[in-house]
Amino acid sequence: MSYTITEKCNGCGACVRFCAAIAISGEKKKPHAIDANSCIECGACGRVCPQAAVLDAEGILCMMIKRSEWLKPDIALEACVACGICIDACPVGCLDMSELPRKKGVDPFPYLKDAKACISCGFCSRECPVSAIKLENTA
Amino acid sequence: MKKPYMGKILMVDLSNGTMTEETIPDSVYEQYLSGMGLGAYILYNRMPAGADPLGQENILGFCSGFLTGTGSFFSGRWTLVGKSPLTGGWGDANCGGTFSPAIKRCGYDAIFFKGISPDPVYLYVKNAKATLKDAADLWGQDAVETEETLKEKYGQKAAVAVIGPAGENVSLISGVCTDRGRIAARSGLGAVMGIKKLKAVVLEGIQRIGVNDPTTMKRLSQKCVKWVNFPLPLTQGNLFAHVGTLMRATPVLFPQDGLLYKSILKKWGTGGMNQVSIEMGDSPLKNWGGSNCDFPLEKSKKINPDLIKNTEIVKYHCYSCPLGCGGICATKGRYAHTHKPEYESILALGGLCMNEDLDSIFYLNELLNRAGMDTISVGATVAFAIECYEKGILTKQDMGGLELKWGNTEAIVALIKKMINREGIGDLLADGTKIAAAKIGKGSEEFAIHAGGQELAMHDGRNDPGFNVHYSVEATPGRHTIGAHLYYEMFQLWKCVKDLPKPSLLFTKTSKYEVNTEKAKSSAACSKFMNLANGAGMCLFGLFIGAKRVPTFDWLNAATGWQLTPEEYMTIGERIQTLKQSFNIKHGIEPRNNFISSRAQGKIPQKEGANKGRFVDVEKLASGYWEQFGWDTTTGKPKDETLRKLGIK
Repeated sequence: MSYTITEKCNGCGACVRFCAAIAISGEKKKPHAIDANSCIECGACGRVCPQAAVLDAEGILCMMIKRSEWLKPDIALEACVACGICIDACPVGCLDMSELPRKKGVDPFPYLKDAKACISCGFCSRECPVSAIKLENTA
Repeated sequence: MKKPYMGKILMVDLSNGTMTEETIPDSVYEQYLSGMGLGAYILYNRMPAGADPLGQENILGFCSGFLTGTGSFFSGRWTLVGKSPLTGGWGDANCGGTFSPAIKRCGYDAIFFKGISPDPVYLYVKNAKATLKDAADLWGQDAVETEETLKEKYGQKAAVAVIGPAGENVSLISGVCTDRGRIAARSGLGAVMGIKKLKAVVLEGIQRIGVNDPTTMKRLSQKCVKWVNFPLPLTQGNLFAHVGTLMRATPVLFPQDGLLYKSILKKWGTGGMNQVSIEMGDSPLKNWGGSNCDFPLEKSKKINPDLIKNTEIVKYHCYSCPLGCGGICATKGRYAHTHKPEYESILALGGLCMNEDLDSIFYLNELLNRAGMDTISVGATVAFAIECYEKGILTKQDMGGLELKWGNTEAIVALIKKMINREGIGDLLADGTKIAAAKIGKGSEEFAIHAGGQELAMHDGRNDPGFNVHYSVEATPGRHTIGAHLYYEMFQLWKCVKDLPKPSLLFTKTSKYEVNTEKAKSSAACSKFMNLANGAGMCLFGLFIGAKRVPTFDWLNAATGWQLTPEEYMTIGERIQTLKQSFNIKHGIEPRNNFISSRAQGKIPQKEGANKGRFVDVEKLASGYWEQFGWDTTTGKPKDETLRKLGIK
């Protein structure tokens, strides 16, 4: 399954700049297309498309969301077991493990290292086995 | 239905730079999982009999775990496979860190290399696009320097597996490093990477990993983490040592629950067992010739686990591990940091050589991680060299002026540097004890302690005969991460798998040395389970918590939708084990030649200490083990009917 781009696309290229999988191609000002084999369904293309020209993997139209309103991961350290699954799941590398321990104990902790790079895909939250990550509006 | 495997491998021919992406049929995963199972399947079927381990025909594989990336815990281990130049047979080495998910994120379950590159190269894979790149500038750099150079170029999230100078110098006791000092060390596979002129593998991928039933996966993981966090109070490190003294003294034992070991690992890491093991007779000392009497508490307190823990800046968790037995430690001297030394490294470089200097162990740990050399085999080979020196077989002149006496830290460090660089006597010792003894002669073979060429780990089978069984019968001889009496107790497999013996609530120590069918069944169960686990990418330390509490079988079913029984999963493990044994037979290995050295069996029993008078009858134990697998009880070769039953033939 993959996201798709409809004929409404005007080729502005906004989605291309946000596609972590480098799955979108097309000439400037002409309709773009998503390579289904490369698409990881992160949804960034849908969130940035000003033309509402992106359908998700289930065919539902994606709505553009202002970047300042994109939800970001909020990690509950009391539940987190420092397994690093969230860091690996992140397609843009915006999470990292701390080099120093948390306030209590000696375990490191994952944190949002590069908030600007976050594309609000929610993979960290979805893959966290102990449900320690919620996506929050930090605006 | 979503699957937890990628369904593809990448085969790289280094001799001509061609790369072939291959689709692997579902039936292969159903029979072997991925990880070590897929590695065994590819190597058995594609490597011609008698292939030179250091030649064009050897295939080196980096295999991701079947459960890696599925939301299960303890499933982040990758397996390096190849024909071992150290033993001449099946070789594998297993490592944590972050490399296992990176293989899958690039779209593959495994990446294999055949041929030999004319010049040093490294493989760079971004998603599913692979390129061989010039590694001339990296050749000669140590493992950590190389990883940092490559991460500077490709970003910190890139996963890097690399050889250090030991692998480049084709040391047969070298391994492959990831994550600045985690090493797939055993079987000498670093030498295979070195001879292939493959300096590194760099992976950057973001592909998704499928799971059939994510809700159940999450539910199982949340249940598992409660056991991982189950609180058990532990004493201070120096008092904890007396538990070992007590275990030495007691004539009766009870089955041990892995929750205790889990707590030790969580608090101290593997080094938590340093003093306990010496006291109870688990740790070999003085090249397997000594005992706890030679390394009493006054000496072993210098490697007290608390002293190591005090240097820990922060804990280190491998990918998908909620336990975190690793750590990053501050060190004195040349290197600012090192990964917390493991029990094996501490005892091989410590007690086995009678070295009490903890600072030197920290230093050597980092030095060898950077060199990409197996700390177990290095410690064992140095201990062998010290005994040669003690007996006058090697002289001070042979040693290049080193006074290589027991516990002479300065000489031990200097010798290890020579081994890394293959200088002087170091050249002779850089290929392990068996090859060194063959070159030195003069009766040194008697105290070259190994199994089929692989140096034994720091667990004395005279204390737990199960270790001697697995050291002797595994396709990768000398391996301590598969089975033992203690492991069987902690795995608690009888709670999940039908017809497995349940240990008595109380048993005498001497009963451990009896040879019977129950023992053979237990050993065979350990092997089947660990082969399954190595196919799944599971960590042994997690599995110690118990098969019901760390639900490998249930995770496999939830990830795949297969709904197999634990017994059917154990058959997958049996198939992988039998295929590896068949690999060895195909390549001319006589299983009996892999039996451990007679000193480690206790053929001349120890006169004092925890293992006084102990002898383990490896011949009889091996025969019983082979019978459980349907292999010939005299030769250890899988019977035709067994191969047919398992679908290998």
